[in-house]
Amino acid sequence: MAWRIGRGVLLFAAAVLTLFPFYSMVVLSLKPAGPMTFPGSLLPWPVSMDGFEQVLGARSVLRWAFNTLVYAVVSVVGVLLLSSLAGYAFAKKHFPGKNTLFWSFVAMLMVPYHVTIIPVFVLVSKLNGVDTYWGMIVPTLANAQAVFLMRQFIAGMPDELFEAARLDGCSEWRVYRSIVLPLIKPILATLGVFVFLWHWNDFLWPLVVGTSDDMRTLTTGIASLQAEGVPLNVVLAGSVVAFVPIFMAYLVGQRFFKEGVTMSGIKG
Amino acid sequence: MSTSLRRQQARTGLLFVLPCVVLFAAFRFGPAIAAAALSLTDYTIGGGTNWIGLENFRRLAGDPTFWTAVRVTIVFTVLSVPLSLLTSVGMALLTRRTTIGTRFFRSVFFLPVVTSLVLAGVVFTWVFSDGGPWSSILGALGLPRQSWLADSALVIPALVLVSVWSRFGYGMLIILARLQDLPAELEEAAMTDGANAWQRFRYIVLPQLRPVLFFLAVIETTVSFQVFDTVYVMTGGGPVRASYTLVYALFDQGFRYFDLGYASAIGVALFVMTLVVALIQRLTLGRES
Repeated sequence: MAWRIGRGVLLFAAAVLTLFPFYSMVVLSLKPAGPMTFPGSLLPWPVSMDGFEQVLGARSVLRWAFNTLVYAVVSVVGVLLLSSLAGYAFAKKHFPGKNTLFWSFVAMLMVPYHVTIIPVFVLVSKLNGVDTYWGMIVPTLANAQAVFLMRQFIAGMPDELFEAARLDGCSEWRVYRSIVLPLIKPILATLGVFVFLWHWNDFLWPLVVGTSDDMRTLTTGIASLQAEGVPLNVVLAGSVVAFVPIFMAYLVGQRFFKEGVTMSGIKG
Repeated sequence: MSTSLRRQQARTGLLFVLPCVVLFAAFRFGPAIAAAALSLTDYTIGGGTNWIGLENFRRLAGDPTFWTAVRVTIVFTVLSVPLSLLTSVGMALLTRRTTIGTRFFRSVFFLPVVTSLVLAGVVFTWVFSDGGPWSSILGALGLPRQSWLADSALVIPALVLVSVWSRFGYGMLIILARLQDLPAELEEAAMTDGANAWQRFRYIVLPQLRPVLFFLAVIETTVSFQVFDTVYVMTGGGPVRASYTLVYALFDQGFRYFDLGYASAIGVALFVMTLVVALIQRLTLGRES
């Protein structure tokens, strides 16, 4: 019994500590500008919408949110399409150089993305892609993890599924569209959530490649507010705008978040 | 399978991997080789490019700033990985049994994992500020009331706490998945033999967690080596380079001073460090599992 109560107290304390930053973010974003003291500022009143008015009016937070959405959504669609095509081919087709190619993809998992960020930036800037959507998105479509997971998933399916359709005279594209795609739905969902989250929270690459205020994402935009010394309630109002969509999605589809992140190991 | 069918198979196979191959060649393989090559040049955007051999590495070896970055990154990793793993194990044990509210607690503990480190950085800057919650609590406990981010000895511990907050939920979930697979009989048998909770954990549960803990140690080390977002937002590498990590140095040299050759050399050093540590972990921790 004592153990039960102790466990409950510990859990409760840990939950309070874990949630404290989220609580502070929301409450302080609703304060008028001025020094944020502790613990006074953590009371839920007085409420002021100044932070939100400023960040939504004078600053381009909505533009940043739009950029983030474009960066995340286009990347998810691109990565899922390309990695499922390649994963299917690696799992079920025979072509020269297949294994070499596949394992060299996998080997790239060993090279941290920070190591290649400079040459990628040089290449993108030579192609005039700095400060453009495509320059931001296209380099992130080469996702070794996605190809690897797709290949493993599809390799576990019986060959007969695909052969029967082919013998019926289906074109390869039809086989992919009407047999492969429906079968890989579960992994499309988890991988999709993971790629989305990774892009939504990505920071270093958008920071490097999106140089003008109009091309910032939410993360780089909020960091720029912080760097300019904008009042805390405004920066935090921006943070709330960036956090709420992910939080809503987390409430609805927690399972996918947990599976996506644990399956892929590293957070973006 | 007939020859024509096999040829058609090969053709579609190649066609389906082609987009990925092109993207990988342009944005992964090419840049990986280029990173190594660039590190041997004095390339700057707009300037010329000269082969200077190992000059960048000689410069790195003699650059106190680089060694600061290596030291800061290692200290950060040595503190944050064990602390984060310990928290993960503790929270996994606490949320192991499914009772009322367990699912709620698990969801709460996983929330920081899906939260942007930039947002976390903004809030924690306030948490650690002078007069913020952290210094107030320390003051109430009779400890010096000061901003940890402004103190060169305490800035890394502050960043470590943020990192533990943001990562422990991930480890917890991985460990929970493993705990669920363990047969209950062993522990029940030990319990009837009079083993207490600590003994059951130490001699029955822990040995079976070893492979998972090894996996987590590798992942968390890699993540820690690449710490950047929180440093950028909370400290800017300061005070006086006390939190100047390797990726921050790479960013600083490459995108503030546009010394891309030198920044590439830092990247190569980071890659080598990651590889060496993964190897050491494999040889020491991995052998037992």
